[in-house]
Amino acid sequence: MEFRIYRYDPEGMAKPSMQSFVLEGIQPGMMLREALLRIKAEQDESLSFRHSCGEGVCGSDALNINGRNGLACITPLAELKQPVEVRPLPGMPVIRDLIVDMSQFYHHYKAVKPWLTVHEPVPEVEYRQSPAERARLDGLYECILCGACSTACPSFWWNPEKFRGPAALLQAWRFLADSRDQDTASRLEALDGPYKLFRCHSIMNCSNVCPKGLNPTRAIGLIKQLMLARQV
Amino acid sequence: MNQHLSGLPAWLVQRLSAVYLALFVLLALLWWWLARPNDYAAWHALFASLPVSIAVGMFVLALLLHAWVGMRNILLDYLGYRPGLRLAMLSLLGASLLAMGVWALRILTGVWTGVLA
Repeated sequence: MEFRIYRYDPEGMAKPSMQSFVLEGIQPGMMLREALLRIKAEQDESLSFRHSCGEGVCGSDALNINGRNGLACITPLAELKQPVEVRPLPGMPVIRDLIVDMSQFYHHYKAVKPWLTVHEPVPEVEYRQSPAERARLDGLYECILCGACSTACPSFWWNPEKFRGPAALLQAWRFLADSRDQDTASRLEALDGPYKLFRCHSIMNCSNVCPKGLNPTRAIGLIKQLMLARQV
Repeated sequence: MNQHLSGLPAWLVQRLSAVYLALFVLLALLWWWLARPNDYAAWHALFASLPVSIAVGMFVLALLLHAWVGMRNILLDYLGYRPGLRLAMLSLLGASLLAMGVWALRILTGVWTGVLA
């Protein structure tokens, strides 16, 4: 099987380039992560990429695979057209080979205050939540912060400092939707203005690539609706 | 067209104007298909009526607002933050839209006052 992999060595003089590899002995059911590990072990140990759990839970190995963002560990080789083009997540500063600097992505995540804020005294036992209230968090809490959605979003490419991006906005909605959270007003206020939320034009690249099948576009739409409902 | 037409208000104006524009175009096409006006008098009578004047005037206003929000979105997305360039482009955009609005107003009032009749 043929691969073309993006290479960049910050210490070397060479500009970023695509390097070809051929890997024999592809097993049925093999995922891209395994192929990358074998290329690293058998052909070029300097090939660098992030990975960890190997089962789509940790979100470390989000890559641009044949032009589409996804997790290498749950992308079956059998579904990929050859040569398989593997690039780092688009629009992010490359540290080395397939490893990108995610600082900006995490900055936006932190900026939406992804934690419960409660102004009333904390209950002595537990927070009560009805099954229906709990169900509102389904499709939101599962995000693994791999960054596939935000780096597939043109609005995030063009305004990465100001637009929060789909991943952070999904988490913003996750806490707005939480029946226990009491910070709705200031959360919404923090998202108003032309950039943080409203650079989203609902093109749905984010929902299209999310490896967990989540729908940030819908969450963003619901934030806008809530904002509107509280202002009319 | 001021600095407050941003964020939520801009988004709302864009959506509401889009609904009006879509309904207007649909009804206009339907009317044209049913009535088949084929002379000047028919068109003139149509535009001289008060409801049509109001509807067309609102259409022009909705179109201008919609264009302002949409074009401003494109500038914010693709131009990056270069204040001088942005101010120049937004001014050019605002002036062009205003000019088109005045032009449309002149046509409509011309129909009403008979200047163009």
